[in-house]
Amino acid sequence: MIVADPKPFGQVKGYLENFERILIVGCGACTTVCLAGGEAEVRLLASGMRIAFGRDGQSKTILEDCVQRQCDVEFVLPVLSRVDNEKIDAVVTIACGVGVNFLADRLGKTPVFPGLNTTFYGAGMEPGLWAEMCAGCGECMTALTGGICPVARCSKHLLNGPCGGSEKGKCEVDPANIDCVWQLIYDRLKRLGRLDDLQNIIAPKDWRTAADGGVRRTIREHLYKLR
Amino acid sequence: MDKESPQISSGDVLSTCSAACPVHTDTREYVQRLSRGDYEGALDVLLEVNPFPSVCGRICHHPCESECRRRAIDEAVSLRMLKRFVVENTKEYRIARRKKPADRKAGTVAVIGSGPSGLTAALDLTLRGYRVRVYEKDSKLGGMLAHAIPRYRLPVEALAEDIEDILASGIEVKTNCRVGTDISFDELRSENEAILIAAGLSESHSLSIPGAESNGVFPGITFLWDIANAMPPEMGDRVLVVGGGNVAIDIARAAKRLGPSKVYLACLETREEMPAWKWETEEAEQEGIEVLNSWGPKAILTENNKVSGIDLKRCTSVFDDQHRFNPRYDESVTTRVEVDNVILAVGQKADLEFLTKTSVAIERGRLLCDRASMSTSERGVFACGEVMTGPGSAIQAIATGHEAARVIAHFLETGEKLKLPQRTITTIGELPAATAARAKRVDRVEVSLADPAERIRDFSPIEPGYSEAEALAESRRCLACASGAQLKFPEHCAGCLTCVRVCPFGVAQVRGTAVMPAQQCQTCGLCAAECPAAAIELSRFDTNRMKDTLRDIVKRQGTSRIARPLVVSYCCLNETTSRKFLWEQTDEEIRQSGIVRVMVPCVGRLSALDLITPFELGADKVAVIACAEKDCFYSGSEELLSRRVTRAKKFLDQIGVGQDNVQLFRTDGNAEECWPLIWEELK
Ligand SMILES: Cc1cc2nc3c(=O)[nH]c(=O)nc-3n(C[C@H](O)[C@H](O)[C@H](O)COP(=O)(O)OP(=O)(O)OC[C@H]3O[C@@H](n4cnc5c(N)ncnc54)[C@H](O)[C@@H]3O)c2cc1C
Ligand code: SF4
Ligand code: SF4
Ligand code: SF4
Ligand code: SF4
Repeated sequence: MIVADPKPFGQVKGYLENFERILIVGCGACTTVCLAGGEAEVRLLASGMRIAFGRDGQSKTILEDCVQRQCDVEFVLPVLSRVDNEKIDAVVTIACGVGVNFLADRLGKTPVFPGLNTTFYGAGMEPGLWAEMCAGCGECMTALTGGICPVARCSKHLLNGPCGGSEKGKCEVDPANIDCVWQLIYDRLKRLGRLDDLQNIIAPKDWRTAADGGVRRTIREHLYKLR
Repeated sequence: MDKESPQISSGDVLSTCSAACPVHTDTREYVQRLSRGDYEGALDVLLEVNPFPSVCGRICHHPCESECRRRAIDEAVSLRMLKRFVVENTKEYRIARRKKPADRKAGTVAVIGSGPSGLTAALDLTLRGYRVRVYEKDSKLGGMLAHAIPRYRLPVEALAEDIEDILASGIEVKTNCRVGTDISFDELRSENEAILIAAGLSESHSLSIPGAESNGVFPGITFLWDIANAMPPEMGDRVLVVGGGNVAIDIARAAKRLGPSKVYLACLETREEMPAWKWETEEAEQEGIEVLNSWGPKAILTENNKVSGIDLKRCTSVFDDQHRFNPRYDESVTTRVEVDNVILAVGQKADLEFLTKTSVAIERGRLLCDRASMSTSERGVFACGEVMTGPGSAIQAIATGHEAARVIAHFLETGEKLKLPQRTITTIGELPAATAARAKRVDRVEVSLADPAERIRDFSPIEPGYSEAEALAESRRCLACASGAQLKFPEHCAGCLTCVRVCPFGVAQVRGTAVMPAQQCQTCGLCAAECPAAAIELSRFDTNRMKDTLRDIVKRQGTSRIARPLVVSYCCLNETTSRKFLWEQTDEEIRQSGIVRVMVPCVGRLSALDLITPFELGADKVAVIACAEKDCFYSGSEELLSRRVTRAKKFLDQIGVGQDNVQLFRTDGNAEECWPLIWEELK
């Protein structure tokens, strides 16, 4: 899933200084799960805004909403009509960046601001901890590396590691918190009886699938342009 | 009033305590109200289904406790004592809340017998608007409650409270009026549309052994009746009671209070088989009564036409293979006990003489009745209480009184018989062992009975009631079963697993969306406080209501009129030992003190939002006062709460309020002394 962190409160508040009727919209999917952008966070942020603006002597109207997923039209339609009907003049979304874009594309003249910094595709490692696992590079390499991604999980994105900074299984970038992924790959391949695979140098990666050629799109023929 | 408790609608899942109660008292609700300091509200719950709460608070055999789910953890909640506390502390309110029937309906009913069943039916019918007259052969109302149950267990005042309350509804009573002699049954029939026979079992069975009719042999019920009416019989120095049930124990203990040096109780049963409650037998023994188990009466001996002793024979078994009462004896093993009196407590029967020349059918000495329709062989003649069911308990008799009223009202309205529907009760079931193992053990608050040597001097009540602090403490042992967390907004649940991870009892699970099985949930509220989707709600504690209260208070007062700083103080109500801080605050109190109290059953249920919202509503500071260290019922709650407070502090810094404005405190000692100091400190 997509992991995100709250932006500093002051930054978000700064976006809103010149608006009166503000809608904060959460997302019931990834950002709920990573405890950054669900219904509960919407309420907390909204309450915080009311208090903070109130202390500045400004009485703004802060409204709240949360949709099941901000990255699908059907789910965001009610938000769009709310913006129209309730004369909202700014929207803050605490979905990931996808939600910000998705709303911005559809909101006409109403500005939309991010309440979160979207950080990575990751997994919940233990309660309260998420870690990056995939970089969305468009050409999955993990068959070569025992299922462990060097693109996402190596600090230097090395395809043929480890580098000289690998020490006692830890990455030099932050030895206290980061495992050297090439150590993990080594251990994994050893358990799989495939250590020999490491003799093969992985060829330079074709990065076109990751970024090249403009915005990436995916089409499923069996549903696309259905009438 | 219906057979089904008005507090329970079909389809409800009951906690086991309510299910076990014959009138299905909403036990959980009254205990929860008590714990919140709402004693009056608790009384309302009790009176809704039971017109005899004062009596039951003293002598109910409390099937609710026997089924309390807390037994899986340690011991049952002391429900009877809590009930007693409620009635003893709401006397004025009870008088004030009395109401008369709204409208009168055509139809008069005569009730024969003023025991708990008869009076219950009379009350229900009166409140429905019918004219009811109760005929009682004795001078006092209450049946066995007034005449048999000894005063050391049921003081006159307790019974009087219930009876006065019942009579306030406008029931007419005719005491000293024995149907059959003072007024004939047929006369009653001609004067009334319906008759209810609630005559109880007022006669003791006798024994067909030699000497049973001798001078100095007393029938048990008569014996108690005479004591209750201040006419204790002449007795010698050694007494033996025959019987092993609760009535026999009462008789033995009552006899002991009249001064004999030796009181025996002989019964057929072994110790384990004795039908008397275990605790009653133990209390009797403490009072010096000697229990002779597995002995049957063989002959009562006399000298000079007076009882001189009793021969007993060994009873080898009481029940046959089909568990029917069918005692067997070994006649070769006998013993002789020298006594001056023998009292028989070997069962009771109805005195149905008043029906002998009527058309109401009697079969082998018992009133012929149909349990499902509460009716006798005669149209318009109904029955309830022990005359119908055989010996039981007061609360069972009360339950049948409700049923009879329902059937009679139906008859008066339609002229038809009503067969009461058989209702199956769904309960929440036992507390699973795995959950119980994780729950905190809390000792039941016990009271100590008067010293046995003191007890046997007279008929003074032997059991002290709970103090307020004791009652509040005991009420908090109730697990509030079946009122736990619910996924109120399943469409919001993201299956994030947070609830699963924070639940201290391993209850919450995610199967598609979250599930919190009611059977296991301990209502700690931690899941609801942490759910990022705000999808979980607790029926026991609704933060929205609390916020409304807060909003209301601040709005009504206007912040400028309140002493500053204005502090919202969330307090763990489990630490209170009186109602001092449980009462709702007056506007004046809030204005002068600047303290708004919000009582929470465990402050661990407060979400981060709950800690922030007060500032939005005009508060200057928020205090969270938790219980004393390690006092919390819910493991893990303390840790989560302190982290939530830390989070709120950071957030307050960010929004410019300042982290010092929210603070977490612990109660030190009792709330009444400790909390004012905390508030002082904050000011
Ligand atoms: C010694 C003893 C101890 C008990 N202890 C407990 C206890 O601790 N807990 C508990 O729950 N239960 C206890 N019980 C049982 C409880 O008292 C009975 O279940 C209950 O009283 C039965 O109520 P009832 O309305 O059926 O009849 P009763 O209470 O027997 O009332 C019947 C009434 O009808 C009257 N009556 C009879 N014939 C006539 C007539 N012809 N005309 C006018 N009036 C008439 C009688 O005088 C009596 O007042 C005890 C019973 C006894 C005997
Ligand atoms: S130490 Fe390991 S994870 Fe870190 S940069 Fe080098 S190879 Fe990559
Ligand atoms: S814990 Fe409370 S609600 Fe549960 S069975 Fe016992 S008394 Fe009833
Ligand atoms: S914490 Fe809330 S959103 Fe997460 S699984 Fe439980 S109910 Fe669903
Ligand atoms: S209320 Fe407490 S016991 Fe019940 S499911 Fe939630 S966390 Fe678990």
